Amino acid sequence: MNRSRDRLMHWLVVGMILAGIWQIAEGGYIKAKAWLAQYLLQSAWETTQAGEARVRPWPWADTWPVARLRVPRLGVDQVVLSGASGRTLAFGPGHIAGTATPGMDGNSVLSGHRDTHFRFLRDLQPGDLIELIPASGARLMYAVVSAEVHDQGDLWLLDQGQSLLTLITCYPFDALLPGGTGRFVIRAIPLKGAGLHPQAPLFADPGEQQRIYM
Amino acid sequence: MPKQKPVNHLGRDMWFTSLASLLAGVVTSLLLGLLVFIFIRPVEAADNVGSLQSERIRPDLVQRGSLLLKQASGGVVVEAPVLHTDVAMNISGMLARVTVRQRFRNPAAEWVEGSYVFPLPEEAAVDRMRLRIGERLIEGEIREKGEARKAYEAARREGKKASLLDQERPNIFTTAVANIAPGETVQVEIEYQQAIPYSQGQFRLRFPLVVAPRYIPGYPSGSPEVTAFQGNGWARDTPEVPDASRITPPVVAPTEAPVNPVSMHIRLDPGMPLAHLESVYHAVNTEKNAQGIYQLTLQDAQVPANRDFELLWVPAPGNAPQAALFNEQWQGDEYALLMLMPPAPAPAGATALRVPREVIYVIDTSGSMHGDSIIQARAALKLALERLTTADRFNVIQFNHQTSALFSRAVAATADNLQRALSYVDRLVADGGTEMLPALQLALGQQPEQGVLRQIIFLTDGSVGNEQALFSLIHQQLGDSRLFTVGIGSAPNSFFMTRAAQFGRGTFTYIGKVAEVGEKMAALFSKLETPRLTDIEIHWPQDQPVEMWPARIPDLYLGEPVLVALKLQQPNLPLTLTGDAAGVPWQQQVTLRGGAARSGVHQLWARRKIADLMDQRAQGVAEPEVRKAVLDVALTHRLVSRYTSLVAVDKTPSRPADQGLENKAVPTNLPQGWSAARVFGSLPQTATTSEWNLLVGLLLLACGVLFSRWPGVGFGVRVGPVSDGKVHGGNVL
Repeated sequence: MNRSRDRLMHWLVVGMILAGIWQIAEGGYIKAKAWLAQYLLQSAWETTQAGEARVRPWPWADTWPVARLRVPRLGVDQVVLSGASGRTLAFGPGHIAGTATPGMDGNSVLSGHRDTHFRFLRDLQPGDLIELIPASGARLMYAVVSAEVHDQGDLWLLDQGQSLLTLITCYPFDALLPGGTGRFVIRAIPLKGAGLHPQAPLFADPGEQQRIYM
Repeated sequence: MPKQKPVNHLGRDMWFTSLASLLAGVVTSLLLGLLVFIFIRPVEAADNVGSLQSERIRPDLVQRGSLLLKQASGGVVVEAPVLHTDVAMNISGMLARVTVRQRFRNPAAEWVEGSYVFPLPEEAAVDRMRLRIGERLIEGEIREKGEARKAYEAARREGKKASLLDQERPNIFTTAVANIAPGETVQVEIEYQQAIPYSQGQFRLRFPLVVAPRYIPGYPSGSPEVTAFQGNGWARDTPEVPDASRITPPVVAPTEAPVNPVSMHIRLDPGMPLAHLESVYHAVNTEKNAQGIYQLTLQDAQVPANRDFELLWVPAPGNAPQAALFNEQWQGDEYALLMLMPPAPAPAGATALRVPREVIYVIDTSGSMHGDSIIQARAALKLALERLTTADRFNVIQFNHQTSALFSRAVAATADNLQRALSYVDRLVADGGTEMLPALQLALGQQPEQGVLRQIIFLTDGSVGNEQALFSLIHQQLGDSRLFTVGIGSAPNSFFMTRAAQFGRGTFTYIGKVAEVGEKMAALFSKLETPRLTDIEIHWPQDQPVEMWPARIPDLYLGEPVLVALKLQQPNLPLTLTGDAAGVPWQQQVTLRGGAARSGVHQLWARRKIADLMDQRAQGVAEPEVRKAVLDVALTHRLVSRYTSLVAVDKTPSRPADQGLENKAVPTNLPQGWSAARVFGSLPQTATTSEWNLLVGLLLLACGVLFSRWPGVGFGVRVGPVSDGKVHGGNVL
C-alpha cells in the first residue's frame, strides 16, 4: 500500500465533495435569489402602485419595480424591474432602457434570464394573453403573435415603430453555459382598448436612453 | 481478545461497505439519470421549438431582421456595389497632390445607384472630381450644394450616368454614382491638395481610410417610421445632429471579411536628405532613386479600409527646415504659403520656469473605446499621472453616457492621491455612450487660483457627430484653461480633435497603437512643461493689404512652426514676426522673396479661409452669414465645402426607361480593434451559470463518492491496526 497516494486520494475526495457542495450551493443560490427576490419585490411594487416613483426594494439596489407581468395560462406573475443589466436580471425580468415605458405608446422590451424568470417564454403559444400592469395600475392586455430566434446584434428589435410588447431571453433554452449569441424573441400586440398612452417626453436622463447606441 | 477484533471489524466493515455501495449506487444512478435527462432534454426542447418555429416563423425572416425592415419600407434586396479604392499621392516638399480613384462595380442584376461615405484628411482642399465611364472622362463642376444635388437627381431620373461629391464634415465626404449597369464598373476620381503638417522636426501625413461610427447624441427626431431609413445611415437624425443619417454608413457585420480594399502609391520628393522615413501602421515597399525621390507602395497590394495610414519623415540633421515659402500667381493676385520656425526658447531655464499646474485628465470610456483604445488610454493616462510633481494639482474625469470625477475638485498630487488615481485608472472599463458635453463642462467649469496654469488633457477617439456644439462650448468656457486633445485608436475623428485643440489653444497628439504611447506622451509632456510662444503677430508694411489665414496665429508649443496662407497684392514683401516667450519678447524679420512656385497654393489659401469662416459659427456668427462668405470663396476657387459640391453628368442616358434603379450604400468596415457589440450594443445577456453550477456540483459529489471507494482512501471502511502492528487497508472491499 502506498500511504502517500492514499492520503492524496483522501484529500482529493474531500476536495471534490467540498467543491461539489460549493457548486451546488452557488447554482442553488442563483435560483433561490431569483425566486426569493420576487417576494421581496412585492412590497416595493405595492409602494410603487401607491404612486411613489423609483422605489428601491432594498437600500443598496440600483433598480426599482416598473411593472408587473402576468401570464394567467401559465400561472406566471412577476415584478418587472428597471434596466436590464446582469445585476438587475438576477432579481427579476428587466425593462430595457430606451424602449417605451410599460403603458406608454411604443415598443416596450422586457428581458429575463432563460433559466429563471423567462423560462416560461418557450411555453407561450400564439394567442396567449399577457397582462402588463404599469405603475399607474391600468391593466394592459397583449396577445402573443410570434416567437422568433434572432442574433444578439439585431438591435432593430428595439425599434419603436409600433406599439408592441417584446420579451427577450437567451436561446437555446438548455445551453449549459451562458454567453450564447442567440435570442428568443416573443412579440405581442396590444389588444383593443388596451389604453396605451401616447409616449410622454422621454426620460430626463439621456444616458439611460442611449446605451443601445455606441 | 486480539483474535476477535478483526472479525468484529470485518462485520462492521461489511456493514459500512454495503451502505457505501448502496449510496454510491444510488448517486451514480441518479447522476446517470440526470445526465440522460440533460442530454435528452435539449433535443426534445429543440424539437419543440423547431415545430414552434415552423408554425410561426417564416424561415427567411429569422436572423435577417434588418433586411426585413428594409423590405417593409418598399425596397428590394440588392447587393451593394463593390468598391475598390486606389490612392496616388505626389508629395513635393510640404505640399501633396492626391488622387483618390473609387471604382464602383455593380455585382447585381439590376441597375443600381451606389453611395459611399469616406474620410479625407480634414485640411484637404478638394477641387476636382471626374467620372470615368470606360474610356470617357466627364469633368465635374463646382456648384452650390442644393443646385448640384438637383442636377444629379435630374440626371439620375433621366437614366444618365452621374456622380456627386458632397462634404458632410471637413473630414467626411460622400460620393454618389447613379445608373451603374448590371456588371458594369464606373470610376470616380477625386483630387485634392494638402499641406503636410510639420511639427517637432517631423513631417506627418495622415490619410484616414475609414469613417468610424460616430456617437449621435439626442433623441431621434420626426416620426420613426419615416426617418429610420434616411440617407442609408444606421443612426436616425436628431436635433443635435440633424445630418446623423448621412455620416453613419452601414457597417459590415464583424463576422464578415473586411471590405473596400485600398491600394496606394506614393511619390515623395522631400526636397532634403532624410534621416528617417516610416509608414507607421502599414508595411510598405520603399525605393529611392538617385535624385532622392522615394516611391512607396503598400506591401500587401491591397489593405482593407479599416485603419488610418500615416507616413512620417524626419529631415537629416542639419537639414531641418527653418522656413519655407510656396507661391502662386492666380487671377492677378499673389498667393503664398509661409512656414516659419520661431527661435527655440532658451532651454536653460526650462525647469526653473515651471509654474504650478492644475491638470485635469478627461478620459473617454465609451463603448467605441473598447479594446485596444482603452488600453492605450489607460497607459497614456498613467504616464501622465506619474509625471506630476507635488506642486501640481490634478483630477481625473471619465465619461461615457455619464460623467464622473475621481475627486470633487482638483487635489494636490500627493503620493496617496496619485495611488488612488492610478488604481482608479486601472479599473476603467469602456462601455456606453459618448456624451462629451457634460464632461467638457465639468472640466472647463472650475477655474483655478491665480498664477496656476490650468491644462486639460482630453483622451478620446472623438467619435461624436455633434462637433459644432462642442466647439461652441470650448470657445465660450475656455477662460484661461488650455485644452490638449489626445487621439486614441485606429481611426479617431481628427477633424474634431485638431479643431477642439485649436479652440482650446492647446495641441492635438495622435496615438495609433499601444507601442507608441510612451513616445507620443513624452512629446506631449515636453510641450506641456516648456513655455509656449504667445501673442504671435505678423506686421506688414503700412498700406499693404494682406489677407492672411488663419487670421489670428495660435499659440505655439515647442517645435511647432507658424503656418499661414497669404493673399498679397505684390510679391517680395518684408514682414516682422513678433511674439512673447514666457514673458520674454522676441521678433524675427523675413522677406518673402524667392520661394517655390506651385500650383494649387491659392486653393490651400481658400481652404484655410473656409476653415476660419466655418469656425466663426462656434463663435456666434449666424449661419446664413457664414454660408454666404464660404460660398463666395468656395465657388471662386472651385473647392468642395459644406455649401458646395462637385457634380458630373453624362450627356446621353444609358439606363433604359423601363429599368428600375436601386439605391445601395457601400458598407464600411469597423475600425481595427473596435468591438461591434460595444459600439452598437447588443440585446441583453440573459442566462445564468446556475444550471452549470448544479451539474458540476453533482458531478463532483458523485466522483468524490466513487473515489472514496478506492482502496486505501477509507471513508467509513478504515481498519484499525492489527495486533502485529501491520497496517491493513480496506482490503475487504
